[in-house]
Amino acid sequence: MGSTLRLYLTCIRNTLDAAMCLQNFPCQEVERHNKPEVELKTSPELLLNPVLICRNEAEKCLIETSINSLRISLKVKQADELENILTKKFLRFLSMRAEAFQVLRRKPVQGYDISFLITNYHCEEMQKQKLIDFIVQFMEDIDKEISELKMSVNTRGRLVATEFLKQFI
Amino acid sequence: MAGAEGFVESDNAEAIITRIEHKTRKIESLLKQFKPVEALKTALEGTYAMTSDERCKSAHWIVVHRAIMAIKDVDGMLSSLDPEYYDILMKYLYRGLATGDRPTCDQCLRIHEKLTERAGHGCILRFLTDTVNTV
Repeated sequence: MGSTLRLYLTCIRNTLDAAMCLQNFPCQEVERHNKPEVELKTSPELLLNPVLICRNEAEKCLIETSINSLRISLKVKQADELENILTKKFLRFLSMRAEAFQVLRRKPVQGYDISFLITNYHCEEMQKQKLIDFIVQFMEDIDKEISELKMSVNTRGRLVATEFLKQFI
Repeated sequence: MAGAEGFVESDNAEAIITRIEHKTRKIESLLKQFKPVEALKTALEGTYAMTSDERCKSAHWIVVHRAIMAIKDVDGMLSSLDPEYYDILMKYLYRGLATGDRPTCDQCLRIHEKLTERAGHGCILRFLTDTVNTV
């Protein structure tokens, strides 16, 4: 189980290493505009093949690259209904504060839980390796966070129930 | 003009599908003789008779998938595989990863790691940029 996670993250890291080759590219259609081409998808010659890496039926990662931007969408494992709710709430919390993260997208792509948008400007300001480390670290930490949240919800629920039912003893 | 081209395409497609069926039989026999590396080489050859026909692509994929799943020793397989097959193998690995089926993804992830070590990031980039010859 742990080894598949390691292989999955290595695969994503290698693919990102290869795919994160971004350069400035002003918009072809509109003068003086500079837009992330991966979001608009107006010119097919500016887009590379999208890559879908699945670890299993529940977890996957979609990496779409273009000449000046790269979009990474993640679907996180959700084993039961509680994890479903926790994941949605937690990732929504993060997405609302997307400005603080700079590379986070405010809305995840359809069918995924969270999305990152990395542009050439990010690559100029920040180091490419550090960006990739951040994404991979994020993926590792998300699983831990969700498990911790689930455990704390269960603990709290058990404590509350015990206290409440004591009055009936 | 388009009609004539369409006719040639379907003609070609039938020939390719027959060739793929021959390949499948050959690969099954190689796998029975416990030669998974030769089976993979046979599966990867000739996939460059590229058509845009979806049936041919699916047929090719089924054959390569069978050969990939039969590989047990990844290091050994990669050392005996010619470097010219690395790019096409990478394309099929990514197709396998996109399926989402757990055993396929496990196997493909295993091979992907070792293949990237050998072939480098250039192999991945060649897959990303090749929008014409897709599998």
